[in-house]
Amino acid sequence: MNPILLNTQVQIYLFGESILYIFMIMAFIISLHILLKWDFDSFSDEQYRLERRSYLVITILLFVFAVKFMLLPYFVFTIDSLNTLVPGAMCAAGVISANSYGLELLFVKLFVVFILSWWLMINYYDLQAKNYPFFKIKYGLYIAVFVLITLELWLDFAYFGNIDIHQPVSCCSALFGQLEGANPLPFGLDTKTMLILFYSIFVTLAILILTKQDITALIFSGLFLYISYYSVVYFFGTYVYELPTHKCPFCMFQKEYHYIGYLIWGSLFGGVFLTADSILCKKVLNVDTSKSKIYGLLLITVFVFTVSAVVLIYRFQNGTWL
Amino acid sequence: MLNRVKLHFLALSVFGESSRHLATVLLSVLVIFILSSVLFISSSIKYTVTTALENEADMTVQRVRGGMLAQVPLSWEKDIVNIRGIDSVSPRVWGRYFTKPKGKSFLIIGVDFLDSNANKALSKIVGSTDLKKFLNAHNMLVSAKVKSWMKKRFYTDSYSFLSADGEFIKMNIYATLPKNSDLLSNDVIIMPIDDARKILGIKEGYVTDFVLNVPNDAQKVFIEDKLSSLHFDIRVVSKKESLAAYDESFNFRNGFFLTLFMILLATFSLILYQRYTQSYSTQKRQIGIYRALGWSIKDILTLKFYEIVVIILGSYVTGVGLAYIFVYIANAPVLRDIFLGSGNFSPDVVLIPVIDFSALSSIFLLYAIPFVASVLIPVWKIAVSDPKEAML
Repeated sequence: MNPILLNTQVQIYLFGESILYIFMIMAFIISLHILLKWDFDSFSDEQYRLERRSYLVITILLFVFAVKFMLLPYFVFTIDSLNTLVPGAMCAAGVISANSYGLELLFVKLFVVFILSWWLMINYYDLQAKNYPFFKIKYGLYIAVFVLITLELWLDFAYFGNIDIHQPVSCCSALFGQLEGANPLPFGLDTKTMLILFYSIFVTLAILILTKQDITALIFSGLFLYISYYSVVYFFGTYVYELPTHKCPFCMFQKEYHYIGYLIWGSLFGGVFLTADSILCKKVLNVDTSKSKIYGLLLITVFVFTVSAVVLIYRFQNGTWL
Repeated sequence: MLNRVKLHFLALSVFGESSRHLATVLLSVLVIFILSSVLFISSSIKYTVTTALENEADMTVQRVRGGMLAQVPLSWEKDIVNIRGIDSVSPRVWGRYFTKPKGKSFLIIGVDFLDSNANKALSKIVGSTDLKKFLNAHNMLVSAKVKSWMKKRFYTDSYSFLSADGEFIKMNIYATLPKNSDLLSNDVIIMPIDDARKILGIKEGYVTDFVLNVPNDAQKVFIEDKLSSLHFDIRVVSKKESLAAYDESFNFRNGFFLTLFMILLATFSLILYQRYTQSYSTQKRQIGIYRALGWSIKDILTLKFYEIVVIILGSYVTGVGLAYIFVYIANAPVLRDIFLGSGNFSPDVVLIPVIDFSALSSIFLLYAIPFVASVLIPVWKIAVSDPKEAML
């Protein structure tokens, strides 16, 4: 048996994901049934039963979402703890690149959380109204989520089942750091221009959200996510590690750095997801989501303040920039 | 959300009918207690082993012939020192001495007291021992466990070893090793290198292995490659490899336990499912009244949800707390032996309290997910029950 599969965290993680999937199948069958038979104007027993079943789907999905939300940091934590087993790996970056499924799995996971949070928001507005106006959208979206989660579960098992503990992997400094002079940044940016871009996109995004320019704000939040990733890996991260050559998105999840990665990445993804979800909700459902947009902006602001504070604290403690 | 009225209702349904929840809570506490005890013990031992290994040398150089360890010629030291980036190479003489072919065994470590590196390390362990006096005669330092074993067999101040050449060598027990890292040193005997050579049958000019340090982390893989290409029969073992080996053995025990534990969890879930189905059917009337009073399905689901959260958190905190007392204060009788074994001089380990995020979150997920999963459907069933039917 692959020793990775005997690891406590991996076992618990896969066990949790599998239980969730069983419930998702249940919810999937019920929602197909509901989508086909639903008729809000009908007074039949069948319709009444469907409405009650609809509550089961909602309950299941709330449960699934809550657990998925807990399992995402747990997943990062799990692959981080595998670095002692995989030769060459020093942090999660090496472990996740141990086979080709790793990065795909991480992307699918983030996307699932994004779609699930969007679903939750639609559900919230659907239940607020008395006549279930977004019913079809909600269940259609769930079927899309189900397909994604099927893919995710398959990737989960494919990834953990195929980590070869005798095959050395590259550590993060080999993956992100030593590029032999090549510029890793997109659009040929240098660090200074990237930082100017980072802060100006943040300010623009805040103004766009506050002035309710929704479509532009949506585009800018995507752009912000993209630039933030590079800024954290290639600039802010080096201040977290206090080493100009250490460029890695994963090491900051470790204890040595006070688990600050969970705060940095959590607030970034949380904020961008929340903002994008609210804008999508508003455009698709035509409801007022300005409040959650503000929460999203707040989280993004927390992110920007955290990464800036890391740099400033380093500057004041050591009297120099890196 | 929760307002005061609902909070009052919640308190009533959790504490007012506490007898209804008692069995569930007791069962949960038991399940969590078993799970957390095992995880606590394993993470504590893992911590002890890892910190002990941190102080070890980065790499060990051995010689392998026919798949077995062979004695390493001292001349290798020159080749090793010549590689740049390597620091403090020192030869070691050690081996196992069996008191009878299938009996207990000691780990004999020969120390060159003239070597400054070895001296530094040793003075850290023995501190007060007067080395000059120690070297004057055939003296040895033994661990507490070994000493008491010898004492039981009337070797109160010396022990006669049968050397590899067949002659007896009498060694005096000079002092007992301090009890700081008992886990790894419970069967250790430290003696001068020449005596150790004779007892273990290691020829002059040969040693058991070399240890060395590589101060720069980035060079480790490269230096390991360079060392491996020095001789055709060389084997280099890095610290990371030994850590991985320990990790693997812990994973194996934990994994085996967890696999069995899942069966227990399945039973637990089934009991919960049954119990909630039954207890809610007696509650139907009550829910019917709520519904008739104007509560929506959502309200009842919310109330039940908070009720479950209170039960889960309550049992989680109690179970983990009890396990903490059992493992770290009572030192985990019985359960500890699963991890430590009791073959050769079983170590007297005091489990160091290690509470990490990993164990706590694992326990929570492993318990909370099946719990919620098994009560989800009964809760939904009761929440959607028709008030008219329920009142009948």
